[in-house]
This record gives sequence, C-alpha cells and structure tokens, in this order.
Amino acid sequence: MAVRIRLKRIGAHKSPFYRVVVSDSRSPRDGRFIEEIGTYNPITQPAQVNINEEKALQWLQNGAQASDTVRNLLSKAGVLAKFHELKHQK
Amino acid sequence: MTTNERAALAKTNRINYLFDFYAPLLTDKQRTFLTYYFHDDFSLGEISAEFAISRQAVYEHLKRAEQALEGYERKLGLLGRHETMRALIGELDALVGELPGQGEPGSRLRALSARLRMAEGLASPEAPARQGIQEVKRDGI
Repeated sequence: MAVRIRLKRIGAHKSPFYRVVVSDSRSPRDGRFIEEIGTYNPITQPAQVNINEEKALQWLQNGAQASDTVRNLLSKAGVLAKFHELKHQK
Repeated sequence: MTTNERAALAKTNRINYLFDFYAPLLTDKQRTFLTYYFHDDFSLGEISAEFAISRQAVYEHLKRAEQALEGYERKLGLLGRHETMRALIGELDALVGELPGQGEPGSRLRALSARLRMAEGLASPEAPARQGIQEVKRDGI
C-alpha cells in the first residue's frame, strides 16, 4: 500500500495553516494520518516552513511519495537535496 | 524545485483562499472535490478511486469549480479586498509597535487594530499557534 506525504489544511476560516502529514494513500480524508512531520504557515511573510528533516528523510527513503505541494516545501527546506545526496552515496 | 511544484503550492494557497470566501456559492459536488484536492492534497488518481469515476471526470469537476471561484472573485473581489485590508492592518500594527508600550495613543490604536482584525475575520497575529497560546495561558495560571 502506498504511503503518501501530503499537506492537510487546518486553521480557521481565512487563516490558512497546514500540516505536513504522512498517511496511507487509502485512508479516508478525515481519517487518521500516520505521523505529522511538519507545518506550513503561508500567512507570515515570508511563509514559515517547519519540517522535521530526520523523519522526512526516513519516510522518503522508505518509499513514501510526496505530493507536488509537499515536494515544493521539502525542496525549500533543503530536504530533497539531502535525499538525493543520500541516494547517490549508496 | 520544478515550476510545476511551485505552481502547485501557489495554486493550492490561492484556491483555498477563494474557497474560504465563496464556498457557499458552489454546489455540493464542487465543494467536495475541491476539499479533497486542495484542502487534503489528494491526487486525481486517489479521488477518482474514491468516487469510482475517471480521472478525467475529476479533473473536469475541479477545473470547472476553479473557474467558478475565479469568476466570483472577478465579480465580487472579496479576496482582493481582504488582502488589501490585511496589508493595511499589518502596517498599522507596525506603526503601533513603534509607540511606547503603555499610555493612551498606543493602547487605543492597539484596540482599534484588534477591532479591525475582528471585523475582517482575521485571527490575532499569533493565532496560527493557537495551541501554543493555550499552553502559555495554562502556564500563566
């Protein structure tokens, strides 16, 4: 079963705030996610991205697929570059 | 970062903002698909599996819903207005921040800024970390 890393919108009306979560690709929309690995706050200037790098790398190495939006955040945080480095070391 | 990824995040932000303003004007179906795709970041493939319709059909629904949202914004301009107000309130707060912490003009302007925020449906500046604030309060007690 595929594991995905996606954004999940939380936060109030007109005050968007997102979690970066790891979830099963078949788990229902309102259902649980496996783990929260970061947050994204688009309101602040510049937007605030918090990613637990260690966990993100671990999930990517285990084959979790990140959505386009999350890939954007991961590359902003420098996690994707590290992931590729690790991959080529092997 | 590919342009595709950058565009995806910008679009998610934009559509979710428009959704906050115009969701009640959409059909149930449009709301459902937009929520899956933009609030919860499901892929076209995942949504098509969930509803047992083709990816192409999901794509068409989303496309039409996005067009509806942009159409409402063109006619009503609520998001544009909101963004202007938010920027102006931000400027006000920056100016108030330069005033001495206590005393008449500072505290009255701060109260005014709070009322503007409320009128605009904006949370207080620290609001996204609401859980954090609750914890602070608990510590204070």
